[in-house]
Amino acid sequence: MSTLHVLSHSPFGDSRFTSCLRVLGEQDALLLCGDATYALQPGSSPFERLQAAGLNLFVLAEDLQARALDTPDWAEAINYAGFVELSIEHDKVNTWL
Amino acid sequence: MAAVLLIGSVMKFAIALFSAAHAPSSRRALLFAQAALAGGHEIVRLFFYQDGVYNAADSLVTPQDEQDLPQQWRAFVSDNQLDGVVCIAAALRRGVLNNEEAQRYQRSAVSVGAPWALSGLGQLHDAIQDADRLICFGGA
Repeated sequence: MSTLHVLSHSPFGDSRFTSCLRVLGEQDALLLCGDATYALQPGSSPFERLQAAGLNLFVLAEDLQARALDTPDWAEAINYAGFVELSIEHDKVNTWL
Repeated sequence: MAAVLLIGSVMKFAIALFSAAHAPSSRRALLFAQAALAGGHEIVRLFFYQDGVYNAADSLVTPQDEQDLPQQWRAFVSDNQLDGVVCIAAALRRGVLNNEEAQRYQRSAVSVGAPWALSGLGQLHDAIQDADRLICFGGA
């Protein structure tokens, strides 16, 4: 049983990011899109937490690109076709609305 | 392992949208839906709930230099003959009415037409039962 967690809110604005990391299981994956991609701002607290967590981390490439951020080697940038495939590979998709 | 076996086969998606047309998540929902069909998958129903009902409103006017999401949704649902359902309770309280509801409540403004259907939350529940995956979009 695995869940794909989808975050779109900035990690600097509320506690969704922290709550999500807390409930993330070993089989689960995290997809960052929209303002949630700001978590990949190098040197920031969310960046360091993600780097240390060693989880299955994905990021929507166009949202990252729109914010002039790079994909670290411990994350995978995907397009919408990849998003669809991820949603199939996992049993459930939980969007942090 | 069961999930691995499903890769490559046709999946049935139910897509629920909770955000208004100007929210980035609404565009994300459309791009996901387009990618799902492009990948050979099926969308059993699109359900527009809460502020998502605004995506089905004909009355929205988008600035010319911006993406006209309501128009893009309309074209997408029409072209692919999808089941686009707008939550009736959410729509009524936001003044998003079709012809029938405008007459029922004696309002002059009609803003929902084809290809949309106003219906109840049960349609979302029904779609979730029928689909392999429910994907929700909303918020930021």
